[in-house]
Amino acid sequence: MSGAKNRMRNKKMRDQPGNVTYSSPGWRNGGETSAGRAGEAQHVKGHCLPHQGGGWVRGHQSGGSVYPQELPKYITSSYFARARAAEVKAMLKAVNKRTGSCHTFGALPKHMRRRAMSHDTKRLPTRLREGAQRMLEKSLLTGKKKEESKAKSRKARRRHGNLLLEFNRRQRKNMWLETHIWHAKRFHMLKKWGYCLGDRPTFKCYRACYRAMSSHCLLQDLSYYCCVELQGPEEELLSALSRLTSKDAGPTFAAVQCLSGRRQGSVVLYGSDQYPAQPLGPVLFLWRPRSESSTDRQLWIWGHPTLKQDLLSELRAVCQCSEAVVPVPVTVPVPEPTPAGAAEAAAMPPKGPAHKQASSRKRKRAEQDSDAQPAKKIFGDGTRSPTCPVTWKSALTGIVINDLTMEIVRYRLIGPLSHSVLTEALCPATDCDVEAKKRQSCFWWPEHSKQEQNMALHREQTDVFQLLKGVYSSTEIPGGSVLGLTVDDPRLTLPRMRCKAEPDLQQAIGVDEEKRRALTLQGVPERCCQSALWDRNVRDNATDNKITEKELNRMRSELLVPGSCLKPTPPQGRVPVLLVHQPGKQLGQEMPSWGAGWDLLLPKGWGMPFWVPLVYRGVRVAGLQMSVKHSQHKGAPHFPHDFPDCTAGARFQDEQQAELMNKFTRRPPGKRTNYIKHGCLAPFRCPWQQLVEEWAEIVKETGEGSDTQTGVETDSVPPRRFSVLRSRKVMRQLSVWCKPSSSKGQRLQRTTQRAPQPISLCPATAVSLWASHGHSLVWARFSLLAKGRPELHAMVCVPTDEDLRLLSREPRCMGPQEPLHVDHFRKRVKIARKAKKKKGGKAKEASVEQVVGSDGVAEKQDSTSDPSQRPTEQPSSVPALTQTQEVVSTPSRTSDGDTDATPAVPKASVAPSDQDPSASAPGPATEERLVLGLWPEPLPSVTSHCSRVTLGWVTQGDFSLAAGCGEALGLVSLTGLLHALLRQPPEQRGLLLLRNPSSLQYRFAKVTIEA
Amino acid sequence: MVRFKSRYLLCEVCVEDRSSLLLLEERAIYHAVKNAVARSHGDYGAALLILSYGVKYVNAHTGIILIRCRKSHYRNLWSALPFISCLENRGQKVQCSISCLHVGGTIRTCQKFLVKYSTQQLHRMLPHCRNEAERDEVRRAVLSCSLEKERDVEEEEDEVEDDEWEDE
Repeated sequence: MSGAKNRMRNKKMRDQPGNVTYSSPGWRNGGETSAGRAGEAQHVKGHCLPHQGGGWVRGHQSGGSVYPQELPKYITSSYFARARAAEVKAMLKAVNKRTGSCHTFGALPKHMRRRAMSHDTKRLPTRLREGAQRMLEKSLLTGKKKEESKAKSRKARRRHGNLLLEFNRRQRKNMWLETHIWHAKRFHMLKKWGYCLGDRPTFKCYRACYRAMSSHCLLQDLSYYCCVELQGPEEELLSALSRLTSKDAGPTFAAVQCLSGRRQGSVVLYGSDQYPAQPLGPVLFLWRPRSESSTDRQLWIWGHPTLKQDLLSELRAVCQCSEAVVPVPVTVPVPEPTPAGAAEAAAMPPKGPAHKQASSRKRKRAEQDSDAQPAKKIFGDGTRSPTCPVTWKSALTGIVINDLTMEIVRYRLIGPLSHSVLTEALCPATDCDVEAKKRQSCFWWPEHSKQEQNMALHREQTDVFQLLKGVYSSTEIPGGSVLGLTVDDPRLTLPRMRCKAEPDLQQAIGVDEEKRRALTLQGVPERCCQSALWDRNVRDNATDNKITEKELNRMRSELLVPGSCLKPTPPQGRVPVLLVHQPGKQLGQEMPSWGAGWDLLLPKGWGMPFWVPLVYRGVRVAGLQMSVKHSQHKGAPHFPHDFPDCTAGARFQDEQQAELMNKFTRRPPGKRTNYIKHGCLAPFRCPWQQLVEEWAEIVKETGEGSDTQTGVETDSVPPRRFSVLRSRKVMRQLSVWCKPSSSKGQRLQRTTQRAPQPISLCPATAVSLWASHGHSLVWARFSLLAKGRPELHAMVCVPTDEDLRLLSREPRCMGPQEPLHVDHFRKRVKIARKAKKKKGGKAKEASVEQVVGSDGVAEKQDSTSDPSQRPTEQPSSVPALTQTQEVVSTPSRTSDGDTDATPAVPKASVAPSDQDPSASAPGPATEERLVLGLWPEPLPSVTSHCSRVTLGWVTQGDFSLAAGCGEALGLVSLTGLLHALLRQPPEQRGLLLLRNPSSLQYRFAKVTIEA
Repeated sequence: MVRFKSRYLLCEVCVEDRSSLLLLEERAIYHAVKNAVARSHGDYGAALLILSYGVKYVNAHTGIILIRCRKSHYRNLWSALPFISCLENRGQKVQCSISCLHVGGTIRTCQKFLVKYSTQQLHRMLPHCRNEAERDEVRRAVLSCSLEKERDVEEEEDEVEDDEWEDE
């Protein structure tokens, strides 16, 4: 029994009477005198010194056989009376005293207990009050320290200023968006990428969100996306930026439509002059329309926060902006450090301050000392240090880079009715009164509206905006259109009840038909893309002069008719906004432009005033989870999940692996999936590099690439890093090749193919592709033919001829099954665990592990030879493939003994002398990492591990509500894909197998490459 | 909360010679009762008894014992008690009979009953006293059947013990 348990028991048994016998061990000390006195003494002793061998231990005691004293010779009635009395006393005590719980009211029957009894002793019956009072005092004494730590009362803490201070403190590590509090009340929040973001609502709405996306409108706060502003002469900008992109991967920054400012473009950036290696990630960009006054152009680049550091440093490199402009904090008496040089700026995270934030932070710090000034709510990025540069200048090119993180709020509305939500929630800015115009005003709109050309532009934009009301669906608008606008404060027109925005088509019929047709065909005219949001001063003015909620409510309460509209609009209630159309699904034939919508850009500080009115128009709000699903339904890769070749993507993979591993180890070992038995080598992280290298090896060994000179070339070149294929031309070619040449497929092909005669798939073209894109992965979509739901990291495999024949025999068949693998590591894990348990000294442990290590090598060798033997045992119909499997498994067999990170490297490249030292040293280390059910680090050949050859892995998989079947998106090796396609009969081309990591069942899937 | 419910039998060992009562021992009672149940109810009855059977309290001076058994089978035990005619301890056989005073669901109720019963017995003893000395003794004993005086002492003990635990 443990000490604490003993103590509890002793306390409980303290008052219980013990046995009174002549043989009990407690009797020994005091039994010299007469029996009567002895009996009493025993009772007293019974409660003074509760001993372990008291009357509550069942059965006889060990000391029972010893009889230290004689029995009394005679007995009197007085003796008996005394014995009785003593017993009564003992029993009385036992009955009256509380047991177990040390609370006084434990002695009270349940129906007499009252609320807050421990706090207020007067609630107890009088007889128990005294003891309870003592207990209370005692507990107060011990709890005193805790009481002191609470500096302020709850009321004080909840006071507005103090609450804001607390909020500002809590945002220091992870920034909050402006809608944070709204989200935090309704969403599961995640701390990601330095922000606090909503992942998914706490209520069930997965399907409802899908419905909103496909038939109404879904709202997301994308303000965490980082905006970088570039200013400078157009040619300089274009020449600098062209180094980051390639025309091969689609339209670049210089696309005509985008350059004029009419369209928003998207592009994948690469390291300067590095294409196709070193991709940075996808970004959105938006040019400011040309204005007559200045020759400088303005460009916004929107990127994911994980991308921002790389993006900024690359941009600074290509634009030669080495000069960091250090912002001077306005009201800071504290001596500032000297302006950071370029090198220093590159080293430290180039976050930038806004002057206002800096001062508010300072004020906050000052307040902690003096407690005099109220806190100010931080808009924008409050976490960066005020000395961090946000602006970089280049004297050479005249380009200025500006970091506008958190300066602009970005809301995304997805769904066909998002335009009607916008037209209902926003109303174009009303004109100011005449006398107000004459006066000088500190607000931007009265000044802005003084110029007639501005007003003309505004009227034009308003007309276009009104046209949107009659549009049936957001998808009718050309993708990427931009509309600048100035709107009234939407809080003024907030409906009293939440309603659902519907397009008003009846009214619009016949009116402005031609204008609307022009809008849907040509998009928004170039003039209307201009907005005051581009102007920093206007933005700041709008932010600073926002009417507070309190002021607005005061104005409402002063209305003559309660609940009527506030007229006229106060002069500060105009906001410049930018509406950017978001194209939906652009590639592929199914569901064209699904998931289209509008992005709403606002100046900072206006987040909540726009958010609530939008929500009141019946939109559904979603978080990060839904944005993943959105891109999944669109078939587009989602950043950073599906960009394993980018640094951000690699980082994400690390995090995901740790997370999945953590989840795996949280389960009890008996309940974990044994991935070794399922033949899954890497359930938590896909070894892309190894896959690509192995496929290169396979092609070389089978002699398909060796007849040309390319085979020799790849031999001499050191193993390149894998990359994801983004070349439009090759993608288009592949997408045609993946289609089966059945009647239906051909018809589709003919309708979609612009090129008169596409290059047909033959070994020669494949070889040339292998030469140029050997280390590439291809983004592909897999839709399951029958049932099944693909999961994350499901394997994409090549079906054998047998499988294809099976499928043509019975089209609804389940698909082949993987034979169960043998877990050879099981024994080693057990031995290691036992050794860990047993180990006493360090020397012993080391010796055990050495033994285990030597055992492990032997076992491992036969484990790796197993998969290579299995295909040969089976009557395989593809002799070439079995041959490659054996070939590939040979190098891995030889390199098994060491912990080389690349076991798939051909045998010749690994010198035997290198292996020996490394084999002995990291042996114990690998033993430590051995987890039951997971392959230890040097993975064997990933392609030939299972009975079907692996092509790649799935990065997003789920049952697709849009398609009505299981759908997966993933990356496959280009070499492997071509290799597989070449061997398939033309009518069954593009059929692959998918297998989940925790299942043995292969399922047939059709591969589609959308380009 | 769910628990195994038990029955506690508060019994008195009656002997002819009071002094032989002092031989009373927990172990002797335990075996005697078990044997008696085995004799009258067979192996099955004995086996049923063994579940949570125990002698909880023995007072050799007054001959009070407390036996615990499962609630569902306490009748077996109860009916076997009259068949105990002697207790054996230290090699001596003592003729005795066991009479059941009270059957309770908790030790606490048995204790409460015992308090009542013992005080009643003490009161009954008073008129049977032969001389004055005896009478005084018994009177004193009756008077001492209360807790009033002891309370203060106990509380001090409590605090001392609590402090010790805190130190640990």
